[in-house]
Amino acid sequence: MSTSLIYSMDLSFPSELGYEVIARDAVSAFARRMGLSAERIEDLKTALSEACINAIEHGNSLRPDLRVTVHCHLEPDRLVIEVVDEGTAEFVVRDNLPTISEKVAGLGPLRGMGLMLISQLCDESSFEPCANGNRMRLAFSR
Amino acid sequence: MMLEDELTVSTRERDGVAIIDLVGDVTTFAEEKINAAYREVTNDGARFVLLNFRQNDYINSAGIAILIGIVTEVNRNNQKLAVSGLSQHFQKIFRMVGLAQYAEIYQDEEEAIGRFQQAAAE
Repeated sequence: MSTSLIYSMDLSFPSELGYEVIARDAVSAFARRMGLSAERIEDLKTALSEACINAIEHGNSLRPDLRVTVHCHLEPDRLVIEVVDEGTAEFVVRDNLPTISEKVAGLGPLRGMGLMLISQLCDESSFEPCANGNRMRLAFSR
Repeated sequence: MMLEDELTVSTRERDGVAIIDLVGDVTTFAEEKINAAYREVTNDGARFVLLNFRQNDYINSAGIAILIGIVTEVNRNNQKLAVSGLSQHFQKIFRMVGLAQYAEIYQDEEEAIGRFQQAAAE
């Protein structure tokens, strides 16, 4: 059996804010067992929380009857986490998000920092449509 | 059902600095409490405002958005803002999103109060 199957974990929860904290705690415990450093685990916790919030709020439009699934598995040199929603809304990743100075000046919405945090905290991140929704993929080197 | 570590917000004054203590998760559910505390200290005439966090709390992007809103008000009201008590990770996050441009980051309340007192004397 491959390593990625042996060292893997799946979670599923309703699209309700707060569940991202439970997912974060479970996956960070998994990551600790898999040997990630304390600093990388802190990065993982923030990035995973933001990916789950994105799935809950945007992908599943805060509908508790729709599920968010988190799958994580170990590869030889990294931990990979996938966050999948049921994609009722098409999520568009915008390129030109307002800067903080524009936000402070009232020239843009205050929200919208989550994807920037994900891209900076992960070693690799991607977002793509999948069979019944959207999938965000995060990778953390060990 | 409340799934989060609900935020407790309280205010106090120390050496001319209005301190807003934040204990718990700073998420979208925190908006009303943080804004109310800020309004309270501002209505009391605060010039120096310190957001004092507890090391192990959870701050997400919705919480950061609330804090950016506070920065906007601080600028409008000609106040000075600082933060203390952030873990190393959230100090990094505050720098990453640019909040550190608008609020000095101190390790703890003592250091922040000292710097505010220096600023008041200048």
